[in-house]
Amino acid sequence: MTTETTPSQPSPTTLRVQAVSFLNARPLIHTLLDPKHAPRHADGTPMFEVVEALPSRCADALAAGECDLALVPVGAYADHPEWEVVPGVGIGCRGAVDTVVVCSRWPIEEVERVYLDGASRSSILLLKVLLHEAGLSPELVPVDHGVGEGLVADASTDGSGPKVAALIIGDAAFGVAGRFEHVWDLGTKWFERTGLPMVFAFWAARPGVLTPAHVTALQKARDRSLGKYAEAIAKHYRDELLASGEPGAAQALSEQAYATYLRKTIRYGLETQQREGLVEYLDRAREAELIDIPGLHPEDPVHIHFAGEAAPEVLVAARRRRSSRSPLDVDAILARAAAGERIDLAEGIYLYENAELMALGEAADQRRAQLHPEPIVTYIIDRNVNYTNYCVTRCKFCNFYVPPTDKQGRGYVLSKEQLAKKFRETEALGGIQILLQGGLNPELGLDYYEDLFRWTKQNFTLKLHALSPTEIIHIAQIEELSVEEVLRRLQAAGMDSLPGGGAEILDDEIRARISPFKNSTAEWLEVMRAAHGLGMRSSATMVFGFQETAEHILMHLERLRSLQDETGGFTAFITWPFQADGTRLKLRDDTSAFRYLRVQAVARLYLDNIDNIQVSWPTLGPEIGEIALRFGANDFGSVMIEENVVSTAGAHFMMTAKEIESHIRLAGFEPQRRTMQYGRVEAS
Amino acid sequence: MNRTKDTARFARIADKVRANEALDADDGLFLYTYPDLLAVGALANERREALHGDKTFFNVNFHINPTNVCVADCKFCSFARLEPDAPAAYTMSIDEVKQKLLDRMDQPVTEIHIVNGLHHHLPLDYYKDCLRELKALRPDIHLKAYTAVEIHYFAEKYGMSYTQVLSELKEAGLDSMPGGGAEIFAERARRKLCRGKADADEWLAVHRAAHELGIRTNCTMLYGTVETLEERIDHMLRLRDLQAETGGFQTFIPLAFHADNNSLQKLPPPTGVDNLRTYAVSRLMLHNIAHIKAYWIMIGIKTAQISLSFGVDDLDGTVQEEKIYHMAGAETPQALSRVDLVRLIREAGRVAVERDTLYNERWTDDGEALDGIRIDASLPYSTQGQGVRLNVL
Repeated sequence: MTTETTPSQPSPTTLRVQAVSFLNARPLIHTLLDPKHAPRHADGTPMFEVVEALPSRCADALAAGECDLALVPVGAYADHPEWEVVPGVGIGCRGAVDTVVVCSRWPIEEVERVYLDGASRSSILLLKVLLHEAGLSPELVPVDHGVGEGLVADASTDGSGPKVAALIIGDAAFGVAGRFEHVWDLGTKWFERTGLPMVFAFWAARPGVLTPAHVTALQKARDRSLGKYAEAIAKHYRDELLASGEPGAAQALSEQAYATYLRKTIRYGLETQQREGLVEYLDRAREAELIDIPGLHPEDPVHIHFAGEAAPEVLVAARRRRSSRSPLDVDAILARAAAGERIDLAEGIYLYENAELMALGEAADQRRAQLHPEPIVTYIIDRNVNYTNYCVTRCKFCNFYVPPTDKQGRGYVLSKEQLAKKFRETEALGGIQILLQGGLNPELGLDYYEDLFRWTKQNFTLKLHALSPTEIIHIAQIEELSVEEVLRRLQAAGMDSLPGGGAEILDDEIRARISPFKNSTAEWLEVMRAAHGLGMRSSATMVFGFQETAEHILMHLERLRSLQDETGGFTAFITWPFQADGTRLKLRDDTSAFRYLRVQAVARLYLDNIDNIQVSWPTLGPEIGEIALRFGANDFGSVMIEENVVSTAGAHFMMTAKEIESHIRLAGFEPQRRTMQYGRVEAS
Repeated sequence: MNRTKDTARFARIADKVRANEALDADDGLFLYTYPDLLAVGALANERREALHGDKTFFNVNFHINPTNVCVADCKFCSFARLEPDAPAAYTMSIDEVKQKLLDRMDQPVTEIHIVNGLHHHLPLDYYKDCLRELKALRPDIHLKAYTAVEIHYFAEKYGMSYTQVLSELKEAGLDSMPGGGAEIFAERARRKLCRGKADADEWLAVHRAAHELGIRTNCTMLYGTVETLEERIDHMLRLRDLQAETGGFQTFIPLAFHADNNSLQKLPPPTGVDNLRTYAVSRLMLHNIAHIKAYWIMIGIKTAQISLSFGVDDLDGTVQEEKIYHMAGAETPQALSRVDLVRLIREAGRVAVERDTLYNERWTDDGEALDGIRIDASLPYSTQGQGVRLNVL
């Protein structure tokens, strides 16, 4: 195979890449450099052409347009918020990192000068953040790479000179911890302060050059290298080091130690929690006025643009079908769907795009009547209790959360006394369930929830419809447990079912835009799969109005339908338009009642295996709630004794059971109280 | 209920609608009670599209209510004050009336809607002067003034015929008449609601006189109070009969009753489904009245938007003093009201048309930016599947 491309004139799809040669970067580039396994396009053109360079150099080259893609220190991102970041891949740690350390012969708190030894911008910034927060301000002196340790080792301890330390990064830092009395591992320090992982570097690209194929290739290259070649990389690294005759060679660690570093110490993911850590880091740096991000409003958290990933196969097939010659016919699809037949993704998209509102409504109404032949519309009396508003995810569309770093005292965690009062009121009002949801509060571990649930079950008769997948994932991450284990323990403590919140649009492209630090699509579905597997039922939701396309909406429904085929655990589906008032999300989309009815009717037709559709009157008002009962819905949701989230973003509707029953009757149905599982409850 | 029989009956009614034949009272009642709301809506929508396609009309107007002092004691009214010196009672001077327009001289208003209480003492000249002075300020503006109830009251009070009153007002600048005061025609309901006010025949006679003088008018129906469905249908049929005679009605406006601050508070308000059904049935029954209007101020913009698929083709004006729901990145309230109205029409897949009072088309939405706000709906949802995008520049 010949590759004729030259660095100055690459073929359009071969990305010019710069990456560092540090040991911790090797799992990301090992496969890219492998002549046999380097990713190629279908026509054989290489996807990447890699040049190795120092970390700071990589960022400069990317900024100067000398390369298309680079492994850059995250600190460099502050100057280039336009860069697109490869999702799912990073270099970070959760706790000790071993290779970003400050060493000294004095306690770090007493140090008067820190030599910055070849440090990257990220590690310097991290040091500055940690020093700032510890109230320390030693002199910072850049020195050449490789001399820092010597300067500290040779410093006089008789009080004649300053108390010095060195920030040492990269491979030169291996073993430093063992050679000095006082060491700050910056990964450890960061984790102690925030409870979050640290991300030091990620793949960033000039905007617009990354295709989903590139993204997938980079993710797979990481997986392949780590999966099979960590030991080989470690050995190769050690051999090189020994052969180099460099000063560090004498202090080389064992192959096993390097392999453990790659496998355990360094975390190569860039998932929800790493993203949280990342934004926390940049935000703290900003708060300490160490960086300034161009174009970013001071109130807004850092937003990171992630590149899109490859389309799922089912979508590729639907696109193929739509571009094929055989025409789709709205009336025929509607007739089949109304009769309860399954329609495929291409047909669903076609309906959403082409069917008239009234035709969609009539078909959805027919399907509703087929599933629920009795003229009955159900509702439940429960109370939405938001136990905390502290949240680390900073979703742009949310007006409810308070970041854990908030210094204005706006955050809360409800006490048991407060909860008991709310629970007692709920019981008194005929409520049978608590819908318990809150922010992702890093202070609350699994034992908090277990205790809360047991206490609830001991003292009240209420069902616990508790914790959306987003919260479950958060707990699993802070406890380092599997999602399933967390669910099992919560179930044992008294959790009955899960609300379907946090789904928004189940598409990572949309999620990256609106809630980059929240769980991914796959993670959300995985929690539901696990919960259903344990016998817990859940609802499913979709919030639209984020400039998603018909494909995004139908893929969301497709993902739910497909999981439902597998587990049968979803009891109901609820959709509503995004409520924008006061949130930081500046995009505006069609969130009209008209679109809501279309979306709901399409959902009724597409979700042939989910029994119940709830109207969302809290966001649309009881009038549209009534009308929505003629567009596929058979449930009026909940008499929400309390609601705090959408009501802080412009939805202000409240109703009593009597009012709900009146609206159900006005729409031509008989009201019926129900449980979460849609069993009937007699009104007392 | 026999479902098959009903379906067949509905189909027969649909045939009549498609042939543009008049439906009878039984048909109307059947449509009001037919369980398949969407079938009724779709039929009304078919009729609406046959008449107007996707056009959805609005106009830019504002309201002046020179006095709220009123001798009538209508049970559904929160506006009137029974005595000139009652708390919150007011009567504007002619200068104050003029000031309302002077405050808006730079605005693209094409119509002023003027309605009053039935004042105990004011002379007819007061009402004529209002018209004359407003016309003097802006001769091009259309004055849609005084309901049939006021005209009837003037005629009685000043001992004149309807035609005399109307001629004098027309001479003073009156261009057309609003449709208020019709309430519900049925005697039984009218006695309970507004005893002593112009009755059905009087209301209709005023409009007949107006039509004969070439004054176009609107007509209304207040529903959701004490009336029965039969009485609603009866109301529509009486309007239809006069229209067959004169052709002078432009628009029918069903008015949902609101129970705040009046003596009918114990009634539940008509809501989503009843509103939509009333629009649809009106569209189907009033085959000879061109337009059906939804007052979005009254029923809320969400239901108003959906009503565009249930027979409604007119969304009233951008009422300047109403505070419209607010968009992030707001411009002026006036600019927003227009943008919001056009946006909700675009979202519903229709084409906004600004009209004057007589339905001359002044501006047709071309999908472009409005007042610095880009409503990115040049590609309708039906072809792009992306919904309507709106970005504040």
